Amino acid sequence: MTGKLMIAGRTTLQRRSLTAIVAVALGLVAVAALAAGTQVFDPKTRKWVDYDRTKARKYYAAHNEVPEAFRPQMVKFRTAEVPGTIIIDGNQHFLYLVQPGQQAMRYGIGVGREGFGWAGIVRVGRMAEWPTWTPPAEMVARDPNAVKHAGGMPGGPDNPLGARALYLYERDQDTIYRIHGTPEPWTIGLDVSSGCIRMRNDDITDLASRVKVGAKVIVLMQGAALYKGV
Amino acid sequence: MHNRFQQCLRKMSLAALTMLAVSIPVHAADLVIAMPNWPSGQATANILKVSLKEQFGLDADVREMGTLIAFAGLDSGEVDIHPEIWLPNLDNLVKKYVDGAGTVAISPIGVPAWQGICATRETADKFGIRDISDLTDPRKTAALDTDRDGRGELWIGAEGWSSTAVERVRANSYGYAKSMTLLETPEDVGMAAVDAAVATDHPMVFACYAPHHVFELHDIVRLTEPPFDPAKWKIVLPSEDPLWVSKSSAPVSWDTAHFHVAYATSLRKKYPKVVEFLEQVDLKPEDATKMSYALQVERQDPYEYAKQWVAAQGARVHGWANP
Repeated sequence: MTGKLMIAGRTTLQRRSLTAIVAVALGLVAVAALAAGTQVFDPKTRKWVDYDRTKARKYYAAHNEVPEAFRPQMVKFRTAEVPGTIIIDGNQHFLYLVQPGQQAMRYGIGVGREGFGWAGIVRVGRMAEWPTWTPPAEMVARDPNAVKHAGGMPGGPDNPLGARALYLYERDQDTIYRIHGTPEPWTIGLDVSSGCIRMRNDDITDLASRVKVGAKVIVLMQGAALYKGV
Repeated sequence: MHNRFQQCLRKMSLAALTMLAVSIPVHAADLVIAMPNWPSGQATANILKVSLKEQFGLDADVREMGTLIAFAGLDSGEVDIHPEIWLPNLDNLVKKYVDGAGTVAISPIGVPAWQGICATRETADKFGIRDISDLTDPRKTAALDTDRDGRGELWIGAEGWSSTAVERVRANSYGYAKSMTLLETPEDVGMAAVDAAVATDHPMVFACYAPHHVFELHDIVRLTEPPFDPAKWKIVLPSEDPLWVSKSSAPVSWDTAHFHVAYATSLRKKYPKVVEFLEQVDLKPEDATKMSYALQVERQDPYEYAKQWVAAQGARVHGWANP
């Protein structure tokens, strides 16, 4: 369209994204003490209701489950993207896996307090089962609990990366962002301190089984604060 | 596949490469067609390629490139044809290469097109955002907030599009740049955001253009605006002046746009029949919408689509080639 003047060498991520990536990596999987005010989409009333950390914990304690909106479900989703594409909507805490027939598999996600930090197009560069988690050096210096894992925490039920990790790449470069599982399923639907996308272990395992390495991942505009003043 | 090919190439010895270069004659195409990165332009580039082969027996290479590079190529003779030049967006390039240097010509028949700001049906009906002035009302635009800073977000196009720069100027001129955050992301991100907004009944406002497949996918409302007024339309593009933002003003609608085929004037001597053909190509807005839908939604291969299109439109293409 519109007489686009494509600029040679233009990158998919915005220039300032690298700063965000580094910043996010430092607090990669720390659990936040606070969660920003978020809302849950109630598919029955099609309205948004307030949802915070207290409500999330209470709900999970009572039901041993996340609210219905955040459980995996097939939804109507009209899009030009091909089946197999992942669309991440950090604002609404949904991850869509596009399916044939204008539908999508929708999963609930937890995101960073500051959102995902950027918007753009990446791809699944690789996937790992029960991945090892290595805390960033900053976190080791700051958090005594992280010291014992400085050399890498083996995969397992307590590992912050959970059952699977999808490593997001921009071209052949690891962006440091991951879509991963979590041992804290009640944080789904919340904005916690990690900048990565977290999913329940069953959900990330299901997603990983449906996704192919190389799949396109579109991160929507939540985290738009990065673009201010552009 | 591409990476594998590159790895394979690296493994090959220089000697082997030299032998290949010597032993395999390189086939030079008769013509080079620039291909933009949007679907109707991609389809039209390939339709021209297939038509030129069928009607004139000419081989054309379709090469993806940005519009600035394409214009430079048309000027230097490295590119022969561009399938879709948007006017008035590229008036400044037309002034330089068509009116000034005289190296590029614009085919007289244009496809009418529209540009402006759109909203999903939900946004118009439930949130009352129907006119461009609604974007300067923070009580309304707060609903468009996606990062909880209290300000709504507005996708104004992809980074590097000339229309994106114009939308930034319009946002400043109308005043909503003060109350909203303007986003530049690749078009796929903007369109996927529309898909996600529609799927959850969330409001969304975005820069848009027609013909475009988004109008086929979703119920989209075009925001009303004051009519175009040439006296109020002062646009300086970033490529022309680093102070383009402060030197530009456009508090009115876009003028009706048209997109045209462009060609290097050197073709007039080299292939006069091709020039006659290019000047007869009369695509319609509905053609462009179907192209956009076929390539972007149905994911058809542009060249395969073009072959089918030309086969189905045989008489029409023949008429363009034999006016």
